[in-house]
Amino acid sequence: METIKILFELFPYAILGSIAAGFICSFLGVFVVSQRVVFLGAALTQAAIAGVAFSFLHLLNLEELIATVFGVQSIDNSFLHHFEHTFFSLLFAVIAVIIFSQSNRQKFLTTDSLLGIIFVVAIALRIIFIQKSPIAEVAEIESILKGDILFIGSQEFFTLLIILIIIFLIFTLFNKQLKFVTFDADTAAAHGINERLWLLIFYLTVGVGISLTTRFVGDVFTFAFLILPASTALMLAKKVSGVFFYSVIIGALIPPIAIYIAFVYDISSGPTAVVASFMVFLVVFAFKKLNK
Amino acid sequence: MDKSISIIKFKDVSIGYGNKIIHSNINVEIEQNDFIGLVGPNGSGKTTFLKTLLGNIKPISGVIEKKDIVFGYVPQRDTVQPLLPYTVHDVVMMGRYSLMGLFKNPSKTDEQKVDESLEKVGISDLRKLNYNSLSGGQRQRTLIARALAVDPSVLILDEPTNGMDTPSHYSLLKLISDLHNQSQLTILLVSHLLSDVANLVKKLMLFESGKFKSGSIEEMLSEKNLAQTYSADIEVKKVNGEYHITSRHSE
Repeated sequence: METIKILFELFPYAILGSIAAGFICSFLGVFVVSQRVVFLGAALTQAAIAGVAFSFLHLLNLEELIATVFGVQSIDNSFLHHFEHTFFSLLFAVIAVIIFSQSNRQKFLTTDSLLGIIFVVAIALRIIFIQKSPIAEVAEIESILKGDILFIGSQEFFTLLIILIIIFLIFTLFNKQLKFVTFDADTAAAHGINERLWLLIFYLTVGVGISLTTRFVGDVFTFAFLILPASTALMLAKKVSGVFFYSVIIGALIPPIAIYIAFVYDISSGPTAVVASFMVFLVVFAFKKLNK
Repeated sequence: MDKSISIIKFKDVSIGYGNKIIHSNINVEIEQNDFIGLVGPNGSGKTTFLKTLLGNIKPISGVIEKKDIVFGYVPQRDTVQPLLPYTVHDVVMMGRYSLMGLFKNPSKTDEQKVDESLEKVGISDLRKLNYNSLSGGQRQRTLIARALAVDPSVLILDEPTNGMDTPSHYSLLKLISDLHNQSQLTILLVSHLLSDVANLVKKLMLFESGKFKSGSIEEMLSEKNLAQTYSADIEVKKVNGEYHITSRHSE
């Protein structure tokens, strides 16, 4: 109990933020896994990181521009300081999503080839952007790019919370349209639903969610929590609502537990969360196999 | 005497993707209560024709006149393989989604329509089962029920009997025929097998590498016409009122 008390005193927003990030990833993960576009998660996390790397080039000084437009001091304003990274992370992810969402309009490339191209180009761009960054400390940039659960502060937490609410609202309000187009886009279109628009909204929502969680908690955590909780939930649930329930429960509970374990054993919290999530997956998988 | 009412008109329509024309100058009319077979090998342009008719892709040239048509579409079964455990009821209810308001939930009428559709295709008892747990024939009936739930004026079925065992195959063709006869539903049935639809439909549209022909079943099933369309020696026999179509093999 003493350790938990210390953790809450030291990292209150990290604990709450990890729950929000886990919730976002595991909720979106149900769609990503069931749509069989798992590699979209990998491609988007890399696109988001390439966007953050781009912001280190300081080609566009958005921080200064916003400070001038809104008449605020950019120095010591941590929101503005982080805005540029977040903005370009989102921009790169959204561009990747738009390219991906148009993939069914052409017949030259398969979906996985296109995602593979986005993935490797994003990594290559990230390396080039870091090399050309005016900041000398490459290791420092890499650590910022990778994100860390324990670095989640109040701003990051509230940003994640807002994104979580927006994603939840979009998928609740437009449940019918998104369900139909992700289940069977051709028939949805034949029945008069604008499947291109709804698929774009779907992928943009996924892109924004992935981009922001990658920015704050890192690519490994984001990608793992897109796949593992949803895959575990698909084995456990017999109803669609059950899949979402189990996925978000696993996704939201494991990160704070992982922070505790990481603190006690002095290891990194992100990888611990990933391994813990995998252990849950493994137990459920073994249980299902033995009870078949 | 019944006067045929034209509900869809293709006027000098060219179909294809981008600038690539697959079929040009298509002039064809679909009438109310038509039962039409769209036949041709894979890649002959049947799906492109359907997508153009449904408005999913634009015609390269020409005009398609459609008067307040509601389409019920049954895709190829293999294209619908959900990982999520949707029930049969969930899948059929999707057919009602396009008719509901943006933020509206299913009403009693929607539930009633779903029940009616399930009953029409004979799978009311499966409504709570997981779609993934069904046999091929049951899945196909679920997809047909979903198309019926939209109260369509035209029902389009894309290769509905593909990959089915013989009993399910004929049972499904009988269901489609019954839907046409009992509900006076206009039906477009796509198949790559001429023999599959020849004894079922009233009209045929034949697709074969750039060639498009349409007409009554009698016109289209003449040996001369089939020889021209398929560039092959085809024998057509009518035994006990049923067409038997075979290829003549020369030694």
